[in-house]
Amino acid sequence: MAELRRQPLTPRRLGIVVALVMSMMLTLFARLYYVQLIDPHKPVQSAHLLHDGVIVVPAPRGLIVDARGRTLVANTSAQVITVDRDLLQQRADGGKGVLDRLAALLGRSPALLGKQITPCSPKVPAPCWTGEPFQPVPVAMNAPTSTVLAISEHREAFPGVAVQTVTLPSYPYGTLASHVLGYTSEITAADKARNTQLSDADTIGVSGLEQQYDALLRGVDGRQIVELNPQGLTVRAGGSTPAKQGDTLVTSIDLDLQKLAEQSLAQQLRDSRAAGKPATGGAVLVMNPNTGRILAAASSPTYDPSLFVGGISNADYRTLTDPAAGTPLLDRAIAGEYAPGSTFKLITSSSLVMHHEINTHDTYPCPGSVTIDGRVKTNYDSEVLGDITLRDALGYSCDTFFYRPTADEYYRDQTRIDNGKSAHEYLQRMAAAYGVGRAPGVDLPAGEQASGSYADRETRLARWRTDRAAYCAAARAGYRSVADTAQRAYLTELAKENCTDGWRYRAGDNADMSIGQGETTMSPLQLAIAYSALLNGGRIWEPTLGWAVVDGNGDVVQKIRPKVRNHVPVSQRLFDYITKSLDFSRGWAVSGAFAYIGSKYQNRLGGKTGTAEVFGRKDTSWLVSWGPTHKRHGHTRADFVIVGMVEQAGTGATAAGPMLKRIWDGIFGADGKPIIPGSRPERRLPRIDPQVKVAGR
Amino acid sequence: MTLLARDPRAPFVLTPPVLPLERRNRGYDVLLSLVALALALTGALLVWAATRDASGQSFLWRHLLNVVIATVLMVGAARLDARLLRLFGPVVYLLSLFGLLLVLAAGTRVNGAKAWLHLGGGFELQPSEFMKLGLIVGMAVLFSRHDQDEDLPPRTRDVLLALGLIAVPLGLIMLQPDLGSAMVLGCAVFGVLVVAGVRARWTVGLLILGVLGSVLAVKGGVLHAYQLDRFKSFMDPSVDPQGAAYNVNQAHIAIAAGGLFGTGLFHGPQTNGGFVPEQQTDFIFSVAGEELGLVGAGLIIALFAVLCWRGLRIAREADHAGRLVAVGVVCWFGFQAFQNIGMNLGLTPVTGVPLPFVSYGGSSMFAQGLAIGLLQAVRRRALD
Repeated sequence: MAELRRQPLTPRRLGIVVALVMSMMLTLFARLYYVQLIDPHKPVQSAHLLHDGVIVVPAPRGLIVDARGRTLVANTSAQVITVDRDLLQQRADGGKGVLDRLAALLGRSPALLGKQITPCSPKVPAPCWTGEPFQPVPVAMNAPTSTVLAISEHREAFPGVAVQTVTLPSYPYGTLASHVLGYTSEITAADKARNTQLSDADTIGVSGLEQQYDALLRGVDGRQIVELNPQGLTVRAGGSTPAKQGDTLVTSIDLDLQKLAEQSLAQQLRDSRAAGKPATGGAVLVMNPNTGRILAAASSPTYDPSLFVGGISNADYRTLTDPAAGTPLLDRAIAGEYAPGSTFKLITSSSLVMHHEINTHDTYPCPGSVTIDGRVKTNYDSEVLGDITLRDALGYSCDTFFYRPTADEYYRDQTRIDNGKSAHEYLQRMAAAYGVGRAPGVDLPAGEQASGSYADRETRLARWRTDRAAYCAAARAGYRSVADTAQRAYLTELAKENCTDGWRYRAGDNADMSIGQGETTMSPLQLAIAYSALLNGGRIWEPTLGWAVVDGNGDVVQKIRPKVRNHVPVSQRLFDYITKSLDFSRGWAVSGAFAYIGSKYQNRLGGKTGTAEVFGRKDTSWLVSWGPTHKRHGHTRADFVIVGMVEQAGTGATAAGPMLKRIWDGIFGADGKPIIPGSRPERRLPRIDPQVKVAGR
Repeated sequence: MTLLARDPRAPFVLTPPVLPLERRNRGYDVLLSLVALALALTGALLVWAATRDASGQSFLWRHLLNVVIATVLMVGAARLDARLLRLFGPVVYLLSLFGLLLVLAAGTRVNGAKAWLHLGGGFELQPSEFMKLGLIVGMAVLFSRHDQDEDLPPRTRDVLLALGLIAVPLGLIMLQPDLGSAMVLGCAVFGVLVVAGVRARWTVGLLILGVLGSVLAVKGGVLHAYQLDRFKSFMDPSVDPQGAAYNVNQAHIAIAAGGLFGTGLFHGPQTNGGFVPEQQTDFIFSVAGEELGLVGAGLIIALFAVLCWRGLRIAREADHAGRLVAVGVVCWFGFQAFQNIGMNLGLTPVTGVPLPFVSYGGSSMFAQGLAIGLLQAVRRRALD
């Protein structure tokens, strides 16, 4: 002991530390070696860490039906072939055999098919699967029956491949009313950002009624829960909730009337073209002036909404929006803006008479031409009618009759301005009261309804302030790209004038407006609304296409009612005067009546033609007509207002007249039974069967 | 005054053309620093692998910044001279003690332990890391006063003083409660006591006391429930796989999946899936186990072995005080690495200690950098 103590203690003790440290390190290494290489029961990720995945079962969209319950937009079931990646990967060959066989059946390369079912990630570029990794991947939409049968009959050859039935929107009448019905599309990332409830499997309405009533039509998606292990492989199915189909939208569209309007429009375009006119497009709008409901809205050229089902190709979409192809996607009846021409004289007459600038019993001149501020303005074909009353001015559609009083109104306003007062601008205010310059508030998306326009002092000045630099630049440059020298000179002159005097609102502008020319534009729907006011005592409707929303039990959950936006400040006496002036019973004295003289129902119609001049194009042909007229409390009433418009087709009487005559023939049953029972708009909602299957009455 | 370049009275010796390694490095142990740096850079890769999916490169850059700061601290500590070193121990001890008190008063709680001080600007300090350093140097200074014969066991008075010096911070750390740090601290100090030549009756007595103390702590309810749970789940990992044992099980799964060569850096499903909580700090070894396999993870253990070997070599050649510092540091690193890797491998119970140099964490990295610097200073016989 004594010997030991005399030895230095520390080196021995240091030895203890060395031994300890080294044994610790060896222990660790041995344990590591065991855990990684020897352990016969290596731990694996346990089932406690399962999480749920949700497979969305998209709800079938609700139907859209017409005023008598006939289906306009239905659902069809389509066979979709899906591939379950989990099941494929669990196979010995990693699913290669199945993919090869399936690719051969679908007529695509196995490599492409393999890419299509691989979930997208930063490392996996398109084509790839954008959905959840655990969700079966659809590889063929709307698969042909032969393919479906081949897979169903040889299930053993296609493990992991399934055939599912999905619903897709279908259009039993093809292109019928496609502009107002709208179309649907697959969900985009932007849609999902706006509404987190949406899932990739959903279909969303992106235009027309499909968009406007999307929330009601979409329904509630069903959900199938699957349990997933941490690697994302499905372990077992959990609970599920079934999908709930969207509600049915009943519209005020009448299928037969809509069909007839479209057919007549198409025929008119053919006839006008045969007569040598470009007739690039047209529209028909039928509205009930007493309820504000739209009964038909036709626009040509049209498009097939089924092109959008399952995704539209870029080439197809370009064609639908190409001006050279007539912009088929544009709804000319509601979103198109055109110079209304003489049909605007309803508004001009209202303004002039109500502000005592003319009266209904005196006569005023209708010369062949009028000179305003040194510019000669002529009648159509320089017709000379002598001194006439407003009745004949409307009936024969004299332009010069209206030039003088509207120019005088302008001068009076200028005098007021010179005296430091503000201009009355009676004509503009009356136009605004009839709804010009403001979206009509129809139940369609905001971008799909035209506001129309007119010029006044304020807007002219504001526009000149913003556009002056562009006008002046254009005047200097001189439109070199325009080939036609006359047109080039005109445009250059116009730009020069705009550059220096573009802010000036002139007497000629007011005169132009009085006959619906110049900067005055309206949509066919806006004209229908304005003329409805003529026939309903002055109510300006915010019209509707939707009528009611009916749920899966057949119960009405929502009634859609047009609202009265305002009353035009026009006396009933003047309305009576105008309807009498434009009654087709006056025969040759009413320009629009030409096509109807001699027909059985000539005395039950009224109408106003329009022939609008458009710079660089042929005239727009208009006819606004109403009927069947009847008297109530001594005032003229009608059940339908029909507006017809044909682009670049000549006078109102030559194109729009015959076009609407075919529709009136149908309504009155000139060649047999009326297409609308009783020749009156449907008043009662159709009964919608609880099974969602729709039955006509 | 001489005009000669050489003192003419000096014996004539041929200057060797190549200086011995130690002279060239002015007495530094280059290998020691390189091994520490290798561990820190491996740590950078593993931290990146563990946090890449959730946080991109932010943890990587912060870890590298920590390494740079720790290197500066190491170089600074290595240049300390004897006087400053003797001051260093008490100063660090007192500062850390103050820090520990502050933590109890105003600390931030992370994973159950109130061990962090918020410094503002996203910076946090863990005083217990620096306390390890302060205590080791403080004890070395205490046991190597000039009035002592280093061949005789320390006097009872000194031993009791030392135990007092240990008891205060140990108690404070237990109060946080940070069991892991307390164990590492205890182990490092025990190593210093053993090598200081404290009589066997003291050391053995302390060991028995420690065991009795832990038994009492487990039975008597001194420990928190979560600490008890950790011990229970350590005894039987199947007790509560979603709770206390979750970390261990997940780390175990990750390491077991690694095999010989691992799944490849950044390609561990267990790591990428984020199954192991706190993977960039306490369970960093599981990343190495899964992605680098036995080869990579074994290399980390080997690097720790080399680190300890160099440290113990410095201890053997050092004077008494230097030896105590070196042994303390080696015990600290060795035991903390064992404790951390052991809990990753299911060998030791879960206590929140980082893997030295490898784990993400500023305070520990800085304290470890200072410790390596102290070893270098000892090597330079700065304490002579």
